[in-house]
Amino acid sequence: MIVHDKELLNNLFLTEEADSLERGGFISKEQKKIIRNELSSFKIQNNILVRLGFFLLGTFLYSSICGFVSLIGLSAEGYFFKICCFLFAGIGITGAEFLAGNKYYRHGLDDAFILGIILNVGCAVFILTEDFKTGLTPAIFIAIASFLTYKRYLHLLSMVIFCLASSAVLFFGMFEIGDIGKTILPFAVMLVSAGFYFFTKNRIKNLKEVYYYNGLLLANSFCLILFYLSCNYLVVRELSAELLGVDVKPGQDIPFSYFFYAFTFIVPAVYLFRALKTKDRIMLWISFATLAFTVFTIRFYYSVLPIEAALTIGGLILFGIAFFSIQKLKNKESGLTFKPDRINHSTAILNAETLIVASALGMKPEVKAESPMEFGDGGFSGGGSGGSF
Amino acid sequence: MTQFDGQATQQLFEKNLITENQFKEIKEYRSLNIFSLNVELKLLLSISVLMFTSGIGILIYDNIDSIGHIALLAILFALICGCFYYCFKNSKGFQKTETTTESHFLEYIVLTANVLTCIFIGYLQVQYEVFGTHYGLATLVPTIVSFFCAYYFDNKSVLTIAVTGLAAYVGLSVTPQDIFNGNNNFYANQSLSYSAIMLGVLLILWTVYSFKIKLKTHFTLVYLTFALHIISIASISNLYSYDLSWILFSLVLAVSSYYFYKVSHQLKAISLYVFMIIYAYIGFNIFLFKIFEHADFDDIWVLFVMLLPAYFIGSIVLFIKLIKKFNKEIAE
Repeated sequence: MIVHDKELLNNLFLTEEADSLERGGFISKEQKKIIRNELSSFKIQNNILVRLGFFLLGTFLYSSICGFVSLIGLSAEGYFFKICCFLFAGIGITGAEFLAGNKYYRHGLDDAFILGIILNVGCAVFILTEDFKTGLTPAIFIAIASFLTYKRYLHLLSMVIFCLASSAVLFFGMFEIGDIGKTILPFAVMLVSAGFYFFTKNRIKNLKEVYYYNGLLLANSFCLILFYLSCNYLVVRELSAELLGVDVKPGQDIPFSYFFYAFTFIVPAVYLFRALKTKDRIMLWISFATLAFTVFTIRFYYSVLPIEAALTIGGLILFGIAFFSIQKLKNKESGLTFKPDRINHSTAILNAETLIVASALGMKPEVKAESPMEFGDGGFSGGGSGGSF
Repeated sequence: MTQFDGQATQQLFEKNLITENQFKEIKEYRSLNIFSLNVELKLLLSISVLMFTSGIGILIYDNIDSIGHIALLAILFALICGCFYYCFKNSKGFQKTETTTESHFLEYIVLTANVLTCIFIGYLQVQYEVFGTHYGLATLVPTIVSFFCAYYFDNKSVLTIAVTGLAAYVGLSVTPQDIFNGNNNFYANQSLSYSAIMLGVLLILWTVYSFKIKLKTHFTLVYLTFALHIISIASISNLYSYDLSWILFSLVLAVSSYYFYKVSHQLKAISLYVFMIIYAYIGFNIFLFKIFEHADFDDIWVLFVMLLPAYFIGSIVLFIKLIKKFNKEIAE
C-alpha cells in the first residue's frame, strides 16, 4: 500500500537518529555528513518555514491547474459543476503520485496535493448528496479518504484529519439515533476513545515497521485528548444546552454533574502522574493542556477571583512549582532530571519563547490623543495574554 | 520511542557508520534512562513571569485612582529593587560576548524586573505626568532601560521588548501579532513608511557596527529579523500606491532583498532567507501586476489562466533550486 520506498523510509529513520546523535555530541559533524552521503534519502524539508512556503506554492499550483480545467469545462455548464470536485480530486491524486514517485516526502508540495485530495473528496460527496441536514455522509467519506492517503503516502496530517473525521462520524451517528443518542453521547465518546487508546497502544507495542510509529502515536495522543474532552464539565454542559436545550437555572445543575466535575479534575492529574511515571513526554504536554483547560472550565462558570488577582497569584504559584522542581531535580544525573537530554533536547520551543514574550509584552506606540489621561504604554497591561489561563 | 529506542543506533553500528566506542557510549547514556524536564520547566517559568507581570499590569491599570497610589508605587518599587538586587548579585557583570550563568532563574527575573520597571514608568507618567506632554519620552525611557538590561544581562527576550519600544517611539507597532495585521496602516500614512524603513536601516547599521566592535554579535539575528520584516512590509504595503512612489519602494525592496540574501548566507540563518524570498516573491508579483494593470484584461484573461500553472511550476523549480543552493552553502 505504501508508495514510498521502504529502504528510503528506513534510511530516513537512521539519518534522523544521526542528527540527534550529532546534536548530543556523540558523533562529529563530519561523521554525520558521511552518514548522510552514504544513505540515499527523500527530497525532504525539515525546516517548517520552508515546508510551509512550498505548501503555499503547491496550493497555488494545484488551484491554478484546477482553474485551467474549469476553464475548459465551463462550456458543459451545470453538469460540470457536479463532477468538478471529482476531477479536482483526480488532479490531486495524479500530483501526489507524481511527487511520491519522484521521492518527495514531507516536502510541502506533496502536503498541498494530498490535502487537496481529501478536501475535494469531501466537497464532491457534499455536492452529490446535497445532504445539508447531517454531516454524516461527507464525514464518513472524508474519514475513508484520509485513512487511505495516510496509508499510501504515510502523511501525518491525513492522520489528524482521519482522527477528526472519525470523531465527527461518531458524533453525527449518535445524533441520528435521536435524543437518547444525544444524552449518552459523552459516555459513548469516552468509551470509544478509551477503547481506541488501548487499541493503538497495543498496536504500537507490537509494531515492527518503524514508519507507522508516528501515525499510531498521533492517533494514540488524539484519543487521550478526546477522552478528556468527552466528559469535561464545560463541554458537556455547553453541548447539552446546544443539543438538548437543557436550560440550567441558578441553583440547579446538569444531571451527573458530580461525575463530570470529578472527571474534569481527576483526568489531568492522572495524565500528569502517568506521564512522569512512564516518561511519556507527549502525555506530559497533554496533561499541561488539560490542566489549563480545567482551570478555564472553572473560571468559565465561577469567578473565583478577579482576573488580575488570579493572574498574579497564579503566576506566583507556577513560579513556585517550577522553582522547587528545578531545585529538586537540578543535581540528578539519571531518570527524571533538569539537565537537558543530550539525545532528545528540543530547543525550538525555547526559541519560540522570545517570540511569545515579544507578542505578549511588546510596547505599542501611544495613541497621539489630546486627552492627558491617555495611558501611555498600552502594551504593558498585557491584555493579549490575559485570556490564556 | 519504546522498542525502536536504540534500534537505529544498532543499525548504524551494523552498517559501520559509527565506531564501537561511540556505540557503547550511546548505549550507556541511554541506559541512564534520562527524562529531562528542562524545556517544560523553563516554559513554566516564562509563563509564570508573563502571568505575574500581566496581573500586576492589570491590577495597576484598574486601580489607578482607587488605592493609595503611594502605597502601590512603593510596593512596585520594592519589588523592582528586589528583582534587580537578585539580578546584579547573580550576574557576572557586563561582557561583550554571549554569557552563560549558573543561575537558572536569572533570565526570568531580569525579564520580570524589566517589565515591572516599564509598568512603573508608565504609571508615573499617567498619574503624575513626570514627562509632561512628552509622550515620546514615556516610551523612550523604558526602551533605554530595556536596552541596558538586555546588554548588561545578555537577555534576548528583553532585547525584543527594547526593539518594540524603539519602534513604538518612532510610531510603529512591531509586535508579531500587529505587524502582520496591518495595524500600522502604512498605506494611508506614507511618512510612517519612511520612518519604518529608516528604523530598519538603522537596525542593520547597528548590527554592522556591533560586528566591527564585536559587541554581542549573537544579538544580530534578532535585529535583522526585525529589520527584514519592518522594511519589507512597509515597502510592500506601499507598492499599491497610485502615485509614482511605488517605484521608489520597489527599489527599496529589491535592495533590501539583495542585502538579506547576502547576510542570511553569512549568518547561516534560514529563517531570514525564507522570509526574504517570500517577501521578494510577493513584491515581484505585485510589480508584475502593476505593469499589466494597464493592459486590457478582457481579451487576454483566458490566456492568463492557461499560463498560470506554468508560471507556478516555474516558481517552484526556482525555489527548490534556491533552497538547495542555500543548504549546500551553509553546510560547507
